[in-house]
Amino acid sequence: MDMSGTEFSIPIGPQHPALKEPASFLFKVDGEVVVDVEPRVGYNHRGIEKAMEARTYIQNLYLTERVCGICSNAHQTLYAMNVEEVAGIIIPPRAKYLRTFVHELERIHSHLLWVGVAAHEIGFDTLFYYVWRDREIVLDILEEISGNRVNYAWNAIGGVRRDIPSDKIPKFQKALDILAERTKYYTKVATTEATIANRASGVGYCSKSDMIRLCGCGPHARASGVNKDTRRDNPYLAYDEIPFNVITAESGDVLGNVVVRVGELVESVGIAKYVLDHLPDGPIREKFNPLQKVPEGEATNMIEAQRGEDIHYLCSKGDNKPYRYKMRAPTLANIPSLILKLKGGYIADIPIVLAGIDPCFSCTDRMVFVDESKDNPWDMTSEELRKYGIRWYSNGLNK
Amino acid sequence: MVSISDVFSIVVFPGAIFIVFYALYCNWLSRKTVARLQNRRGPMHTGYAGMLQPFADIVKLLAKEDITPGAANKTLFSAAPVAIFTLALAAVFLIPIQSITSLYSYTPIASFEGDLIIVLLIFSLIVLSVFLAGWSSANIFGAVGATRVALMTLAYEIPLVLLTIGPAIMAGSLSINNIVAWEVGSVQSFIAAPTIWGLMLGVVMFIGFAICILSLLAETEMRPFDMAEAETEIVHGWQVEFSGKKLALLTLGRDIKIVLASALLTSLFLGGPAGPILPPIVWFILKTTFCVLILSNLSALFARFRIDVMLRWAWQYLVPLAVLQVMAIVALSGVI
Repeated sequence: MDMSGTEFSIPIGPQHPALKEPASFLFKVDGEVVVDVEPRVGYNHRGIEKAMEARTYIQNLYLTERVCGICSNAHQTLYAMNVEEVAGIIIPPRAKYLRTFVHELERIHSHLLWVGVAAHEIGFDTLFYYVWRDREIVLDILEEISGNRVNYAWNAIGGVRRDIPSDKIPKFQKALDILAERTKYYTKVATTEATIANRASGVGYCSKSDMIRLCGCGPHARASGVNKDTRRDNPYLAYDEIPFNVITAESGDVLGNVVVRVGELVESVGIAKYVLDHLPDGPIREKFNPLQKVPEGEATNMIEAQRGEDIHYLCSKGDNKPYRYKMRAPTLANIPSLILKLKGGYIADIPIVLAGIDPCFSCTDRMVFVDESKDNPWDMTSEELRKYGIRWYSNGLNK
Repeated sequence: MVSISDVFSIVVFPGAIFIVFYALYCNWLSRKTVARLQNRRGPMHTGYAGMLQPFADIVKLLAKEDITPGAANKTLFSAAPVAIFTLALAAVFLIPIQSITSLYSYTPIASFEGDLIIVLLIFSLIVLSVFLAGWSSANIFGAVGATRVALMTLAYEIPLVLLTIGPAIMAGSLSINNIVAWEVGSVQSFIAAPTIWGLMLGVVMFIGFAICILSLLAETEMRPFDMAEAETEIVHGWQVEFSGKKLALLTLGRDIKIVLASALLTSLFLGGPAGPILPPIVWFILKTTFCVLILSNLSALFARFRIDVMLRWAWQYLVPLAVLQVMAIVALSGVI
């Protein structure tokens, strides 16, 4: 902490109330204005990719679900899609629709959660409590169909694990109607309430060209007017059969983020209702044995998770375990544009701009080692790693 | 010579002990109101409807470990919470609540010409103590919080002082007790013989009440003006390093500040503890409860302001309105 002169640095993180997960941002501040930001992620690296190489395809289904707490289903769906592509399994139409249903419900619960968190960050706890109470509606639906509120274990390789009983459908329709009504109310509150506009309008600005240059994705990019959505551009599951709009905002600030997410809530409720109305009959999954081997091959798929484009890569060498599995969570793609948004803003706006991308740092944390001085810059033996660790802590390299 | 009744009124009622417990009640009231407005239940389990929860919180804090950061300025760090608590408590002594010698009188424990200025001075001293508390804790968040407290003062102190001028001019006195007496007298004469000027004075005083409540909302650091301790931004700001007994004193001091704010509002605009039939203490509790309800309602209604927005807003609206209010009062005082 250097407090000489007018500039001083404020550490936000690894532990900070505005961050729900560990990540570190070192802010250089002049008075109340942010001059520079130094991000550092990697505090929650859990070695999931490596762990996946030691587990069978069925076991990995449940490991991928634990990459993230909020977009658990998105990661799992994507994993299942990758395995099915390599194994040559085509899932039944009903399974496709059921997957879409849970995928959208998850988006609804995640976006509602985000609206609440954003309200909390700008010190508007009243909205936070209201939104989170309404989020219970969608969590109740999820609990009723899967038995769980956040980790649904909904997917199986080749389909889904459970069916939705037809007698429950009217009940879900009704709950979704209530949700649609509440969402319209929040759209009104978020766009007309003066204190929200005060705190969100013009805060954390990133232009469309900057957003494209820095490869932002998801609602964060759509808030800057980048019209891209994997669900429409590269349809997966049943999205080529379902009508929906891609919501964009032109303002590129936090208010744009709010408008996009609230708009997407309305669309998601619409998609979920459409799925319930047009649920095809038939089986819900293809058979996949617990120890079944997957033929040699590679697959890369994309999915529009709540936070943006999620990309997974699978490499199989014909075993019952993946040879290599690689994930890229959307938050990683959004960090460069986040840094741009933070610079030049006020200290008071740091939490809401940070929360604006709906960060999920734990999903983001992957490890890459590059040492350009070596012949083989990508490899490191465990002995080298141990020495590196000793050097790191004894020479004060971590400072 | 200090009599036993003087000692009793300073220490027990309506002095220190009463005020501390009344502050805890106001804390509960505010928490419960905000909770119900936010679709929550608020404190539930300690006492009837959780009424003892603030007291339990204080007791818990008193038992907690008291940590002083190594880099902190130890003297200031220890003195600031005590100063905040005692200053707030001392200011309430100047406000008429209830006399213990006769049931229907409400002379304050200490009353003299100019005690209104002392109360305003104490408000400023509390802000200074808060600034020193944040600054002495040698924490970057504490320092940011402290500077925010000092900045906020620029926004609300001037309207607050301006608004106290109105009642003082009308009463022709700088003593809170005399202002209350003038209010009671003018309301009685207005009821006996209503005039258009009296009605206008009432309207102008109401505007003063509205602006004053906003200034006091900032003074007590309630939402939407809690940027000095904004949890999500600067982790409780100037309070960040305080724990144990010191935090208990700070919490109590803050609660007493809310009582002080609502008592000042009551005295300057709502006729103090005076009222028909019931004794002053009951009217005092009813009126201050009303003020606390308004304060909590406002704090549940808005998102936190940003410090620069608040400063601009205060100088664009609050200060001009306060000046206009004073001018209107001066004009009316010539007529009445």
